[in-house]
Amino acid sequence: MASGRVKTAYWFILPTFAALIALKYYPAASAVYHSFFQWDGATAGRFVGLANYAQLFRDEIIHVSAVNVVKFIMGRSFLNLVFPLLAAKLVFHVRHQRAAYLYRVLLTSPIVVPSMVLLLLWKFIYHPYDGLLNQLLDAVGLGSWRRAWLGDFQTALYAVIGIGFPWVTGIGNAGFAFLIYLGGLQSIPKEIFDAAAVDGAVSLRRFFRVELPMIASQLKLILILTIINTMESYVPVMVMTGGGPGVSSMVPGLYLYESAFLYDKFGYASAIGVVMTLILLVVTYISQRSIKSYSEAES
Amino acid sequence: MQVHGLLRRFDPHQLALHAVLIVLVVLSIYPMFFTLVTSVKDIHQFYHSYFAVTYPFHWGNYGEAWDAIGGYITNTLVVAAASVVIIVAFATLAAYAFARFSFFGKEALFMALLALIMIPDMITLVPTFLVLRDLGLLDRLTSLVAVYVSGGQVVTIFILRQFFASIPAELIDAARIDGASESQVLLRVVLPLSKSILLTVAIMNTLMIWNDYIWPLVTLSDTKLWTISLGLVGFSERFAGMAAWGPLFAGYVIASVPLIAFISFSMRSFISDLTSGALKA
Repeated sequence: MASGRVKTAYWFILPTFAALIALKYYPAASAVYHSFFQWDGATAGRFVGLANYAQLFRDEIIHVSAVNVVKFIMGRSFLNLVFPLLAAKLVFHVRHQRAAYLYRVLLTSPIVVPSMVLLLLWKFIYHPYDGLLNQLLDAVGLGSWRRAWLGDFQTALYAVIGIGFPWVTGIGNAGFAFLIYLGGLQSIPKEIFDAAAVDGAVSLRRFFRVELPMIASQLKLILILTIINTMESYVPVMVMTGGGPGVSSMVPGLYLYESAFLYDKFGYASAIGVVMTLILLVVTYISQRSIKSYSEAES
Repeated sequence: MQVHGLLRRFDPHQLALHAVLIVLVVLSIYPMFFTLVTSVKDIHQFYHSYFAVTYPFHWGNYGEAWDAIGGYITNTLVVAAASVVIIVAFATLAAYAFARFSFFGKEALFMALLALIMIPDMITLVPTFLVLRDLGLLDRLTSLVAVYVSGGQVVTIFILRQFFASIPAELIDAARIDGASESQVLLRVVLPLSKSILLTVAIMNTLMIWNDYIWPLVTLSDTKLWTISLGLVGFSERFAGMAAWGPLFAGYVIASVPLIAFISFSMRSFISDLTSGALKA
């Protein structure tokens, strides 16, 4: 009987693990292995030791990409932590229940727009002649501020970071930030607010002393999702600027893609992937720990 | 009561709250509004009344856009339907095993599963592409189904396992005592209780598939097979180049409709699952 059940369990997990071994575990191992090879994906490749890694640290484009992705992470983390939280807090305090529901639905509604449509829409908004942003600047008499937002060395990267204004409905994985914060605020026990009210905690102090620590786990979730998502994401840059002008908005993911699929440098691309994965692990570990200690210190 | 309600209505604090929220709502949905308005403009209306709603509406833009991207949408629907069915089937079996069975190596296998969360798609991109190439799946929609099935497993299993573990043991034991086999228990007892969570994971995976750009880009060179995210980029360049903004925006609306229809059909349960903490860290 028991062994029959065990057998059933193995049968149940078999399809999943078959798929994962073929298309996740094996490729991950293969990437690590081939990062030590000069490899075009067609022939067996030539073992080059750490040469790919050495080249990586000298590569100018990697330097630019690294700085850009850090700016990206800081920018998107700020946007995903602050604006959806602000909106969630405002909706949370709306006393009229039906209005609160309506705000929730309306502020969430942009997540139903497919992300590619959103990217292309923002590409249009930044369009040098017909774009919404430049037309708007003209309309309010700030025509001198017009520029080719995505074609300008000064602005291309920041234009991609800043898509999604007013940033209440996050982009990508963080698209649910607003709902998750709101859920967190709503699940704070009422007694805590009552106690805070007796203590005379007023709005802003209450926010930082009571509400923020109580939703620390939600903030942590969104921050980690944002960091991981942003480090990995390169489709926005790919679609909106192609990494340009020059390589001014290049990010590591896009450079990995180009190394492999435009230049057939599969070994080099694998080395980029390995380094990115290691950095991702470290960053996730640190952010998880530092936020844990923050929430412990606050509560 | 009446007086109280009135007082509440004129609470300056609440009024300020509503004012800020209305501004946020308007700004958040303005791009969608602009898209709808522009999608029925001809080129003359676009350039002469950029911000205004103009008449007559040029519904022909939609026909023009559909001719350009309809095929991409059909392809995406086929891939999404096949992938989501397989993802949910595989993940249900695995999640049920992890939630309700004890077997040798269970903890280790589950950790191995969770470890995949930390393996970014970036590192597996190149070797996975080569696996698909060696299996002869390039330029077939099957390649997309394969990567989505493997890509959707971890999170889906994680969510389903939590739900399955919360089903009262008595329900399952009762069925077992009645002589039901494990598969029968799963099909007759567990799945009927799981409709809402299954819908939630189906939506999450549909979103992932509808929005994916990279896999069709690297696996499909035949434009007839392209899915919507990939197809839209080419469509967008072509129509923007001709300043055919009306049909271009009509295309964006068309590309959004299937997803919007599917999600709003099931949004209520999705949001309540999300806010009730099914996805909490």
